[in-house]
Amino acid sequence: MTAPLHEPTAEAAPSAAEEAAVAGAESKSVQGRSLGRIAWERLKRDKLALTGAVVVLLLVAVALLAPVITSLLGQDPNEYHEDLIDPLFGTPVGSLGGISGDHLLGVEPVNGRDILARILYGARISLLVGFLSAVVAVIFGTVFGVLAGFFGGWVDSLISRVMDGLLAFPQLLFIIALVSVMPNDMLGLHGTGVRVFVMILVIGFFGWPYIGRVVRGQTLSMREREYVEAARSLGAGRFYILFKELLPNLVAPIIVYTTMMIPTNILTEAALSFLGVGVKPPTASWGQMLSSAIEYYESDPMYMVVPGVAIFITVLAFNLFGDGVRDALDPKGSR
Amino acid sequence: MTTQRTSGRRKRAAAAAAVVAALLTTAACGGGDSDDGGSKNGAAGFDAANNKVAQASLAKKGGTLKFGGAQDADSWDTTRGYYGFMWNFSRYYSRQLVTNKTEAGAAGAGVTPDLATSTAEVSEDGKTYTYKLRDGITWEDGKPITSQDVKYGIERVWAQDVLSGGPTYLKEVLDPKDEYPGPYKDKSKDKLGLKAIETPDEKTIVFKLPKANSDFEEMLALTSASPVRQDKDTKSKYGLHPFSSGPYKFESYTPGKDLTLVRNTEWKQASDPVRKAYPDKITVEFFSDANQLDQRLLNGDIDLDINQTGMSPQGRTTALKQHKANLDNPVSGYIRYAVFPQSVKPFDKLECRKAVILGADHVSLQTARGGPVAGGDIGTNMLPPSVPGAEGQQYDPYKLAGDNKKGNVEEAKAALKACGQPNGFKTTIAVRNNKPVEVATAQSLQASLKKVGITAEIDQYDGSQTAGIIGSPENVKKKNYGIIIMGWGPDFPSVQGYGLPLWSSDYILESGNNNYALIKDKEIDGLFDEYVDTLDDAGKAKIATEINHKVMEGAYYLPFVFEKFVNWRSSRLANVYTTDGYSGMYDFVNLGLKSAK
Amino acid sequence: MLAYLFRRLFAAAVMLVVIIMVVFGIFFLVPKWAGVDIASSFVGKQADPAAVEAVRQKLGLSDPIYSQVWEFFKGIFAGRTYAGGGDVTHCAAPCFGYSFRSEQAIWPVLTDRFPVTLALALGAAVLWLVLGMAAGVLSALKRGSFWDRGAMVVALAGVSLPVYFTGMASLAVFAFGLDWLDARYVPLTDSFTGWFGGLILPWITLAFLYAAMYARITRATMLEILGEDYIRTARAKGLREQTVIGKHAMRSTMTPILTMLGMDLGALIGGAILTETTFNLPGLGQAVLNAIKNQDLPVILGVTLITSLAVLIANLVVDVLYAVIDPRVRLA
Repeated sequence: MTAPLHEPTAEAAPSAAEEAAVAGAESKSVQGRSLGRIAWERLKRDKLALTGAVVVLLLVAVALLAPVITSLLGQDPNEYHEDLIDPLFGTPVGSLGGISGDHLLGVEPVNGRDILARILYGARISLLVGFLSAVVAVIFGTVFGVLAGFFGGWVDSLISRVMDGLLAFPQLLFIIALVSVMPNDMLGLHGTGVRVFVMILVIGFFGWPYIGRVVRGQTLSMREREYVEAARSLGAGRFYILFKELLPNLVAPIIVYTTMMIPTNILTEAALSFLGVGVKPPTASWGQMLSSAIEYYESDPMYMVVPGVAIFITVLAFNLFGDGVRDALDPKGSR
Repeated sequence: MTTQRTSGRRKRAAAAAAVVAALLTTAACGGGDSDDGGSKNGAAGFDAANNKVAQASLAKKGGTLKFGGAQDADSWDTTRGYYGFMWNFSRYYSRQLVTNKTEAGAAGAGVTPDLATSTAEVSEDGKTYTYKLRDGITWEDGKPITSQDVKYGIERVWAQDVLSGGPTYLKEVLDPKDEYPGPYKDKSKDKLGLKAIETPDEKTIVFKLPKANSDFEEMLALTSASPVRQDKDTKSKYGLHPFSSGPYKFESYTPGKDLTLVRNTEWKQASDPVRKAYPDKITVEFFSDANQLDQRLLNGDIDLDINQTGMSPQGRTTALKQHKANLDNPVSGYIRYAVFPQSVKPFDKLECRKAVILGADHVSLQTARGGPVAGGDIGTNMLPPSVPGAEGQQYDPYKLAGDNKKGNVEEAKAALKACGQPNGFKTTIAVRNNKPVEVATAQSLQASLKKVGITAEIDQYDGSQTAGIIGSPENVKKKNYGIIIMGWGPDFPSVQGYGLPLWSSDYILESGNNNYALIKDKEIDGLFDEYVDTLDDAGKAKIATEINHKVMEGAYYLPFVFEKFVNWRSSRLANVYTTDGYSGMYDFVNLGLKSAK
Repeated sequence: MLAYLFRRLFAAAVMLVVIIMVVFGIFFLVPKWAGVDIASSFVGKQADPAAVEAVRQKLGLSDPIYSQVWEFFKGIFAGRTYAGGGDVTHCAAPCFGYSFRSEQAIWPVLTDRFPVTLALALGAAVLWLVLGMAAGVLSALKRGSFWDRGAMVVALAGVSLPVYFTGMASLAVFAFGLDWLDARYVPLTDSFTGWFGGLILPWITLAFLYAAMYARITRATMLEILGEDYIRTARAKGLREQTVIGKHAMRSTMTPILTMLGMDLGALIGGAILTETTFNLPGLGQAVLNAIKNQDLPVILGVTLITSLAVLIANLVVDVLYAVIDPRVRLA
């Protein structure tokens, strides 16, 4: 490859301007707007991002209110309605997976449980696992990624090797083995509670190297950039540089990754439930529903469509929101 | 919160039942122009091969018979295999002194001479069995099969440290004190040191039983009694390429991928009264996903499922709707059930066990198993219909297929009161995580028990460790597994071949236990002792019936279904029939193709 | 540079030993905690205690872990001899032992199956890189447009559906419904078209899953870089837009993309389980899934070792490429 086209002098200038802008904002200049405020202003104008945010909030609300909504509808997620099942095929009687006035999204094959009620209850598990395990991964990943990238040397080597190891590790094997020996009661939790707790920790733990490597890579390449060098030559302390210069620049990739991790985590939960080490029956989760729907993808496609759409909407909402936040936080996003 | 609409529910259930009945009766209109049902080139019709022979006259010599499977055999070594389909398939490449009759239905469970000229000449006391070998029987290299080869093959059962996995009935009957160390540790020069078998000449073999066993000849019909030639015995690797005594031999085998058998040119039709050996070549392709296997069956790439455990829900639905004439709906011989370990409280009390049996919704359990067609009839007792002495649904002590089929909450609550748990209790249901249908039955049981006040939690354990988890009574007690979901089928169709490991106190083991209920009933043990001494069939059947009644009276088991399968046979197949000898599977060894292409 | 490579290789070797030890630990310690006897799952329906004990001896389950780990590594470099119950087998180096279940030697299984997984992973990677980056660049350039949003929705559909769903659906439509493809794995040595035809659906299915992430990362990075000054400078110098994007902007975009690729190739080789299962591809993923189902430790170990090695090498390659592409990164 040829030498990179990149002129230090030209690059240093706007960085300085940016510094000045931030400094100006801090010293309550004419505009008097903080970075956060600018971002908020921008976010407010992004209709798609706001829609995403509203949907995410709605999903959270629906998950929290699941018992109220289902009892208003007169349904129970674990009640059998075998009278609605064709005994020969095991699929729901009627069209579209047994959709009716009582069962707005139809019923499950074989046992006739109400799909809407199960989707609502399932939202609790899926969102909880998807979101919290992403949080765990982000915390670990950011801390170790920045440490590795910023300090370099043996710190970097150690952390990088641990990340390599974790990424190369057969996670599924570990998770299956671990979850299957977890006691039924732990830390005041019971049954499904233990499973959910373990899933969050394990999925998060194996997820952090993904964030960690990206953060490390970004830190590594940013550390060598001129504005950091400049700050350093001005006598700024290492931690000052870390927080002041690097973290804001890392927000964008972290957010993009987080919004992508949540759906991945929801699907990991699905795979675990599919393998029998996820939530305990009769507890519902989207992953468990999607996995068990595989057996009926042709004979009762609605059963698969419903959790599939639920996951899709969630993923889309998180991503739209994430994009909006990213764009809003982008200091160069002047367009 | 619950919405009860009983009348509507009944009506719909009745309507659905009518639909099933209609589907089943209109089934046979597949063709009807040929002598044995079905058109010449088309499928034979629904259930046309169930307990009867379909399209026997259409079978031609030649062609490639294509099996598919979602699971490979545990081992193709005749000593080590225990899967039913392996026993069935092994007849292509191995022969025994006697084998199951190649006849449809119940007759297929009978024993017929194979390498031997006739069935055994049994002494008066039932302790000596003598066989003469047929002329012209050969190995795949053309050398004759001798009585010493048969003895050596049987001796391999003793080498459990190297050749684990297979049935050990012969070892227990011929050497109950476990004195013979097995051929690999045998000090004698010819490695034929087992005293209970004598080979006075190359054509004669004599079995001397320390104690009579009325099912002994059934045991000799098992694959594990196949001959093995000493110089071809590759010990633990034998299953990768067994040396053939039958009409086909191994051409290639990659475990979990594929298996190809080709004609054994040394085998002579005249020496074999059992095998017809129609196709030239037999292939088996293994799939990692059952749905894909079903698709291959439906689009004609593959002729039949080697596992013979029924199609999965997806393929089954398509097949029932569009290709009914290619399906059979045999009874498998398996009973699916829940069992209550007496070591877990409160299942030590008879009435508490009864409460679960009475409180369960048996129709719901049947639906979870797949409904009346794919799941089977509601199980009412513990003896499979294919075992002599079985009474089927006629013996229904708890009215599971009758008045109590939707569960009887009042009687269950009364039983709870009687066992001192009027407010119900908490327990755990143990179920294998690799069997979705079993998880579904566990959930159904959980839901109906809730109505009687019994709170059951479901624990899905690693299915590959069944023997170590629920097979360890200590672990069962520790984990509080009050209800275990399992299934069992006969190794050979007799109460001994089915129930001995389940119900005899001698079979309670620390690990690999199958007497999950921990039944220690002197009367049952006594009946089994009496059974092995009883040589007439009527007497054997009567004892089997009695044992079944004792087991049901103890309320150790909640039977779900007398299992049925929906199995596929391609339109290319001819001379197809199911046999009770192999639990309702098609008899592989005599399948033919309609065209040599 | 050489010293760096050497250090990394050494670290990788240490890592492999650690990974193997952890797998051993999971296999032996976890059942011990759970109070489960592995040996009893190998004796069939009629398990007499003597047989269970014999199997335990034969499989070496009763030896201490450290000696088993030692024997395992010794086998790889020097070969080892198995003896038990009068059955003696010598297994020449590289010896990965024999399957507990099928008794076949592991090494041929690995060499037989590795190319399948490699072909699946590499083919899918090429496809998703091309598709993902193209979509990402387009989205970034036409930011906020219909195409931008549309491409993202399609990409998100990919990421929110499990492989076993998209795989199953594509098989049902293209292989069984329209009958365009046979969808059956054929070795490359037998027929190129057969091989290609058998792998095209798995490639697309897998690429569909990953392309989404690459599109999103490309888009995000591209937007950032387009705001950078050297791009403005390049434009100001009068360079053609194609050159600016194609050469300068793309080059910087490669850094995060490479980071992801290094991780995903590894995760992919290890996690090809679902794809291989859905499409019945005879690769390593399928083998290890069966092995997990069957408690077949030697197969689990062999596959783990090979896949971990592949991941570590992939990561090393990525780090070296970093330095090549972005000279600001020092290899130290």
